[in-house]
Amino acid sequence: MAGRAKLISRRSPVLGPLRPPEGPAERSRASLRPADEVMRHVRAEDRGSTENAPPGEAFPDYVPARGLTAYLLGRLDFETLNALQRRLIYEVSGDRDRGAVIVCDHPVGITIGREGSAAHVRPSAEQLALRGWPVRWVARGGGTMLHLPGQVTCYPIVALDALRLTAGRFVQELLALAVDLLGEFGLTGTPDYERPGVRVAGRRLVHVGVAIRRGVTGFGLIVNVDPDLAPFWDVRCDGDPMPMTSLARESPHRVRRTTVRQRLVELLAHRFGFDRLSVFHNDPAPLSQSRHHALPHGS
Amino acid sequence: MNEPRQIPIAVPELGSAAIRFSLWHVEVGEHLTEGDRVAELLIPGAIVDVSAPTSGTLIDRMAHPDDPLAVHQVIGIVREDY
Repeated sequence: MAGRAKLISRRSPVLGPLRPPEGPAERSRASLRPADEVMRHVRAEDRGSTENAPPGEAFPDYVPARGLTAYLLGRLDFETLNALQRRLIYEVSGDRDRGAVIVCDHPVGITIGREGSAAHVRPSAEQLALRGWPVRWVARGGGTMLHLPGQVTCYPIVALDALRLTAGRFVQELLALAVDLLGEFGLTGTPDYERPGVRVAGRRLVHVGVAIRRGVTGFGLIVNVDPDLAPFWDVRCDGDPMPMTSLARESPHRVRRTTVRQRLVELLAHRFGFDRLSVFHNDPAPLSQSRHHALPHGS
Repeated sequence: MNEPRQIPIAVPELGSAAIRFSLWHVEVGEHLTEGDRVAELLIPGAIVDVSAPTSGTLIDRMAHPDDPLAVHQVIGIVREDY
């Protein structure tokens, strides 16, 4: 315990108050500073510590770890996803120091967020029916998105007040996280703050759309790993006239979906300052005591 | 006897300069409980719920879908319960 206290006491000097960046340059700088730096400061404050407190008195003996529960799932239809997400939002809203993330992919279909429009979908209703592409209007930010096999969706469920983030800053953190992910695959991503997402070589590769209820986040980001890109000519994702691209198309490295899923979770835990990560591979809903049926991977 | 207070519903700090009103979840005249979801705001990439600041009756709605908003701007009024 003393070692932990010592580790925390060596943290960087006190950070300034969290203000949303205003200009592109400030936004860029902000995106370079992970929220977990802010979190370390926030948590020390919550413990009642001060910079000048005598050694051994600054921190209590026990520091509860903040845990992130990751659900690495397979293909989830939207009804199942919504049920799981509602449940996790409810749980996090009652225990705001914990977090959860759902990583999955969706069956083929189109979702239209609050910033989207039916005009972004080129095929007629008959053509959509023939292709088996259902269209859903969903209560999230962001625009229109085409869901295909080969994408990875990452839906973090965290309490913004516990992280001391505003909604706008949370979106920026997600964009920065996506830029970090693309960097690991040798790509330089350009965040789009007007229509949140990340571009590579002028084409969108990551879509961001978030919903915040009772201060808890839902939905999140979608990464094109290796989907068929031809269908994107028929759907203007987030209103962009250029079709989306993918990691497999742009990256010089070998791209595997499992790697992307794992790195998304790890980057998320790091960026939002979660000390402990538990990973589950089953939807907890059908199991009465799901925690007893899966082995957590401690970190 | 004191008149019931009228409490404004204001736009919270969202960390974005581009706030727009999205929709109302409640009608004028409806009874609210503190914390109820009453409206939805939109910033680029996210929707954010606004909660009732107090228990009472919604007596005015001052924002319409797609209206640009500023932080702390009043979008509605709740008349507190007696």
